[in-house]
Amino acid sequence: MLILKTLARNKPMHGFAIAEFILETSSGVLQVEEGSLYPALQRMLLKDWISGDWGKTEENRRARYYSLTSEGRKQLARELDRYARVSQAIAAILQPV
Amino acid sequence: MKLLRRIAAWLHRDDETRGLREEMELHLELRARKLHQAGLAPADAGFAARRQFGNAAVYQDQISALWGWTMWERFLQDLRHGIRMLVKAPGFTAITVLTLALGLGINTAIFSAVNAVMLRPLPYPQSERLVSLWEENTQPQDRRFSSSGSPVGSAGGSQRTTVSVANIADYARCAAFDDVASYAFVPVNLTGMGTPQRISGEKVTWNYFSVLGISPVEGRAFLPEEDRPGANPAVIVTHRFWQQRLGGAADALGRSILLDGTPYRVVGILPAGFQSPVQLGLKEPIEVYRTASYANDLLVSRGDHEVNVVARLKPGVSVAAAQAALNGISASLGKQYPDSNGNFRAAIAPLRDDLAGSASQSLWALLGASGLIVLIACVNVANLLMVRAAGRRHESSVRMALGAGRLPLMRQLMTESLVIAAAGCLAGVVLGRLLMFGLTAIAPPGIPRIESAGMDWRVFAVSAALALTTGLIFGMAPAWHASQAQPVEALKTAARGTGGAAQVRWRTALTVAEVALSLILLIGAGLLLRSFSALMGVNLGFRTDHAIAMNINLPKLSYPEASARLRFFQKLEERVRTLPGVQSAAYANRMPMRGGWSSGIFIDGDADREVEPDFQAVSPGYFETLGIPLLRGRLLGAQDTASATPVAVVNQAFARQLMEGRDPLGHTVQHESDTPRISIVGIVNDIRRAGKEGEIKPEVYLCAAQTDLYPVQLADFAVRTAGDPRALVNAISREVWAIDKDQPVTNVRTMDEIVDQAVAQRRFQTLLLLIFAAVAVALAIVGIYGVLTYSVGQRLSELGIRVALGAPPSAILGLVLRQAGALIAAGIALGLAGAYGLTRFLEDLLFQVKSTDWRAYAGAVALLAVVAVVAALIPARRGARVDPAVALRQE
Repeated sequence: MLILKTLARNKPMHGFAIAEFILETSSGVLQVEEGSLYPALQRMLLKDWISGDWGKTEENRRARYYSLTSEGRKQLARELDRYARVSQAIAAILQPV
Repeated sequence: MKLLRRIAAWLHRDDETRGLREEMELHLELRARKLHQAGLAPADAGFAARRQFGNAAVYQDQISALWGWTMWERFLQDLRHGIRMLVKAPGFTAITVLTLALGLGINTAIFSAVNAVMLRPLPYPQSERLVSLWEENTQPQDRRFSSSGSPVGSAGGSQRTTVSVANIADYARCAAFDDVASYAFVPVNLTGMGTPQRISGEKVTWNYFSVLGISPVEGRAFLPEEDRPGANPAVIVTHRFWQQRLGGAADALGRSILLDGTPYRVVGILPAGFQSPVQLGLKEPIEVYRTASYANDLLVSRGDHEVNVVARLKPGVSVAAAQAALNGISASLGKQYPDSNGNFRAAIAPLRDDLAGSASQSLWALLGASGLIVLIACVNVANLLMVRAAGRRHESSVRMALGAGRLPLMRQLMTESLVIAAAGCLAGVVLGRLLMFGLTAIAPPGIPRIESAGMDWRVFAVSAALALTTGLIFGMAPAWHASQAQPVEALKTAARGTGGAAQVRWRTALTVAEVALSLILLIGAGLLLRSFSALMGVNLGFRTDHAIAMNINLPKLSYPEASARLRFFQKLEERVRTLPGVQSAAYANRMPMRGGWSSGIFIDGDADREVEPDFQAVSPGYFETLGIPLLRGRLLGAQDTASATPVAVVNQAFARQLMEGRDPLGHTVQHESDTPRISIVGIVNDIRRAGKEGEIKPEVYLCAAQTDLYPVQLADFAVRTAGDPRALVNAISREVWAIDKDQPVTNVRTMDEIVDQAVAQRRFQTLLLLIFAAVAVALAIVGIYGVLTYSVGQRLSELGIRVALGAPPSAILGLVLRQAGALIAAGIALGLAGAYGLTRFLEDLLFQVKSTDWRAYAGAVALLAVVAVVAALIPARRGARVDPAVALRQE
């Protein structure tokens, strides 16, 4: 969900940029092994949620730029919806009566 | 879609892997630079970046598993390993693949025949809706129904007959049918186009082709008004007739051709390759189709059962539903016409099944036998694989000790088995094709469509499925055992690798099964062989050597009177007698084994006692030509002319069965109450008119000169010669054409050939089953030999100790042979039980032999026991000759 959201919010990004973005936006709270990003990306490629196109970085290095497909947009909407419901429920339970 | 992406990714997997590595490297680099900028030393930044990233190799593995590559890669790895292992053991590989190829090849060949004859749809549009219709006499002892044709066969107590023309209109009214057509095989004399020829043809109702769903490519089908008596004669010819006899002429339509002396106008040409239901199972091509044009009196005579019927069911109507509807019609016809229809009912079956007829029985039996061979081959290969797996126990144990899972080990062995199965399947299909050519080449005539046996998707699918199943079955056992290996135990026993008790039990069981299966086949083959020899031993009662018979069908148009036909044959006999090498000549309505006539008669004018013997018109030379000896009285002679007292000769069976012990000489027989009484003047030896499988029937031989009152037509001519009778065929034909240049001579066969042809189908199935049994026994011997050789090898040191302790060679021999004997005895016991259960399915194929015939059983057991013991002797002798020093050193 985070990756999808990241890609939805920005223009196509390569792997490092995605990791950086998530790290920065979450102010360093969400920190996992950065390598796990790649199996996740591949899984989404296989499911056709995102597409990857090879391009050049500013320093003229080859890199794969990922962008959201329409299927991925739908998936993001579904996941956001589910997340909203779950977090609402949690909030409702935690709310002091 | 997902699959497509996976496949695309698989094809570019090297690119993908490289790209992924590049991506990850870039990531690490960027992260390191970032950390460096944040103040870390360059080396520390690199380490930190790696730490933060995690294990790149693990992630790469995860990704490749994600795309489903791992499974493939492992499979390919197993495959490569398997092929390597098999190539390293060429002897083993050759034996297993050959064994499988033999089993699968035989199966493929037989199945392709089964497919061609019984499973493939007939070559007509929507052929599954076509049914064959016949009538059944529910009281078969009443045999007056058949004046010309002999009954076609019997089904469940009632006797099957062809259909009465008068009933067809009633059947056609049945709501289950779209349309009903009738047809009859009627050969015809073709003249006016080179040498006169007798060609095959059919007489059909006008709607015959539309019922089959076929329309002529040129011209048109018959019109309803052409199918009436007195209509203008019209003929539809086959494509082949058009090409070969009319030269493919563009103006062939509308031409006239002479059939039986009558001009017929060609109105249609059938598509190339069209085969009528009659053609399927007939070697000579059917060339012309004429309208049936049933005479008006035939259309009301419900007792004359003369034609074949094919009907097309309405779409969606089942055979059972149509049969139920027909039963209603048969019942009401029976009430309406109790005399002619009381005992008859109409029956139907899918046309395809009906055409396959008797061939299907022997084909199913052969398919069953070839199935047993596949089983034996399977058992054999499983056995070989187990032996091999035992040899590789050490390898398995080492692998397992090094951490290989049981599952990958099993998978490895299964892959190897599948490689063998695939190779065996390929070789089997190739062998099957070769066998199929052989099979169709030696197949006797009369098996419909066998000539078209070939590879199609069904044959291929069955072979492939069979190979896969066998691969799984024989691969399973060794794989299971390998997975049961206890590495510690196995490594302790080091390279000796005894198979282990469980393994030995398994292999013993497999060998026992093999012996049992081959015994079943051997007994089956024995039963057929005994049937065949019983058949060959049957005495026909007449001599078939140095005799040749031919058909000279005089058309009614040129020879309307019986006396004209008689004159023709008298003249021919006179001329042929003078030919050098001819000992005697004869003519009759039919020679033995070429059809005939039987009819109800009264004895001594007693109208209450009607009997039905065969009733033949023969010339005086008939008995001499066929070598039928006179027992008492006199034979027919030249003095028995049309104006003399009617006389007849009968056979012993006539006296025995119909005269209640009285002497037939001096008694009379009578065909109808208004025909003259015929005096019996002689008794001749019994013959089996219908051939070796037929029974001895009462015979009445009328003098050919005195038969114009009876519906028998002289048509067969036979000659006894001093030398090879075939050498005289041309000379005889010339004499025929000297009398009538338009008269064809057909169906020329020596009597020996006719007898031979009659037993051809039986010989075919006996031969095939014998070959199958031989293959099975050979495989079983290989199995026994293999198991014992292996077991002796395993026990070499034990035997060495025994010898060292003073056991004489004979004791060692006995030891091994006892082991073999137990195996063989168990297999034989099991096989006997199996054969007892299975051979009853052969019952219909047997002749004068019961399916429990003890001689066949004993012979098979003896043969198998002897060859099995011989196979066991070789390893046993090796064991007995063992040098204790050598054997012990192996320890």
